[in-house]
Amino acid sequence: MKTDDPPKPGETSAAPQLPPGELLVSCEELAVGYGETPMLPAFNLKIYKGSFVSVVGRNGSGKSTWFKTLLGMIPPVSGRVVKHRPELKWSYVPQTVGIDTILPMRPKEMVIWGRLSGWNFLRPFSTSQERKLAEEAIDTAGARSFAHRPYRELSEGQKQRALLARVIASQAELVLLDEPTAAMDAVAEQETMKRLVRLARDQNMAVVVVSHDLELAARHADVLVFLDRETPSIIVGDAQTVFCSHAFRHQYGDEYCARAKSGSPLGHTHG
Amino acid sequence: MDEISKWEQFQLSFELFRDPILCALVAGGVLGFLSVYVVLRRMVFVSAAVTHSAGLGVALAFFVDIHLGLSVDPMLGATILSVIATLLLMLDPARLKLTRESMLGLAFAFAGGAAVLVGDRIAQEAHDIQGILFGTAVLVTPENLYTVAGVGGAILLLQLWWYRGFTFVSFDRVGATVQGLPVRMLDAVLMMSIGIMVGVSARALGSLPVFAFSTLSAIAALVLDFRLGWTFLLATLFGCISGVGGYLFAFFYDFPVGGSQTVLASVLVLLTALLRGGLNLLDPTR
Repeated sequence: MKTDDPPKPGETSAAPQLPPGELLVSCEELAVGYGETPMLPAFNLKIYKGSFVSVVGRNGSGKSTWFKTLLGMIPPVSGRVVKHRPELKWSYVPQTVGIDTILPMRPKEMVIWGRLSGWNFLRPFSTSQERKLAEEAIDTAGARSFAHRPYRELSEGQKQRALLARVIASQAELVLLDEPTAAMDAVAEQETMKRLVRLARDQNMAVVVVSHDLELAARHADVLVFLDRETPSIIVGDAQTVFCSHAFRHQYGDEYCARAKSGSPLGHTHG
Repeated sequence: MDEISKWEQFQLSFELFRDPILCALVAGGVLGFLSVYVVLRRMVFVSAAVTHSAGLGVALAFFVDIHLGLSVDPMLGATILSVIATLLLMLDPARLKLTRESMLGLAFAFAGGAAVLVGDRIAQEAHDIQGILFGTAVLVTPENLYTVAGVGGAILLLQLWWYRGFTFVSFDRVGATVQGLPVRMLDAVLMMSIGIMVGVSARALGSLPVFAFSTLSAIAALVLDFRLGWTFLLATLFGCISGVGGYLFAFFYDFPVGGSQTVLASVLVLLTALLRGGLNLLDPTR
């Protein structure tokens, strides 16, 4: 197995183009997979506060497995995930949101869950401050107009905004979103990505998002992470670094590399 | 000589009926509350398997008393077997290359079959076994009532206190895990609450109505499609109505109690479905 050059392991960092914020999480020689077999080569990555990281790759390339390893839901095959803050606040929106459609929940009720962490559920009622934060999060996510409608009746875009409101309410420092735009049309997809970028910039959160839209991912991300099980490789860097790598061109052809070099827009390119 | 009416009979003998009615009220209410988790977490067959196990526990308590001379309170037997069944159903079936449904089928079939076998060896207690399986309020003693009320009250209090944690873990397990909630502990406490309440209630009221309270109450509430908090409240109320109303119906119309409570719980589902249909007609946007 190999990791394409450049960049070399240890030189990759998901820092914003602006001066980097506080270092939140490092992947150190991290290899992910199930059991003892790594799916991908070991790699290094640093995630800073306020950065926007896009993760791209074909279906089954190991994106969700990497997320689950980051979150501690499955152990790494080798290497480690280092949290640089003991009380680091995470939030995660999975690919298939585990909220059952038979659940009689409204976004307003779900957003307040964002304020739960650790053992604070022992306080039977949310505080007025928590409710205020939840209300503000609903407004920030643009979910006010459907905050009282049953979750199951919402469009995919509205559901994502409701979940985004929960993420905002959680005041997490690091947010992982697994294909949040998968079921959306192009307009909703663009809007969501813009919201996520604003979230990273305005709320100073580190946002890591899996996307199949290569153009959107390249346009908005400070850092792109490309995962490929076939070669197998992990490429971390800017759009040109990723799109011109051997592994990427093997999967998607040379067109993206040429456009990235010339600076011409990529158009909508679902990978 | 004038024959006294059923109502007069009820009034005159109220002291006799008070304990079974209170027992049905508490068990119906607490199981109604818990039924929201049972239904929304798609654990209806967990409830069925656990209630069957409770029935086996009661039968085993009679068996060891008759054949081994060991005095075991049938309510304790029901609770122990319910808790064991709950613990087994909490294990990850994937380790045995099985699905959750396979485990449920095994638990349900084994508990039901074993109850019949054990019942065959305690023929003199056959009436009690019938009562356990299908429900008869005659079996409710003051001790049964105190146990159901004490255990039910404690469980309901805990449920209200940890409500935010239980709902988050139950309905978005991944989100709760990521946000650092003690997911396994909350899950275990919730499942044990269900197992214990089913156990103590099954001895007092019978497996059939206990199964009805722990499933149909939530179904009736969910059909109305109100917010989650209201759903819990309504399910609790429907459980109480099924328990007490079923008992009164059985008394006034000379029907078996357990069957009456179960049918009333089902009728409530139909009524709420009709009400929902009517509300939908008034508000076509829904």
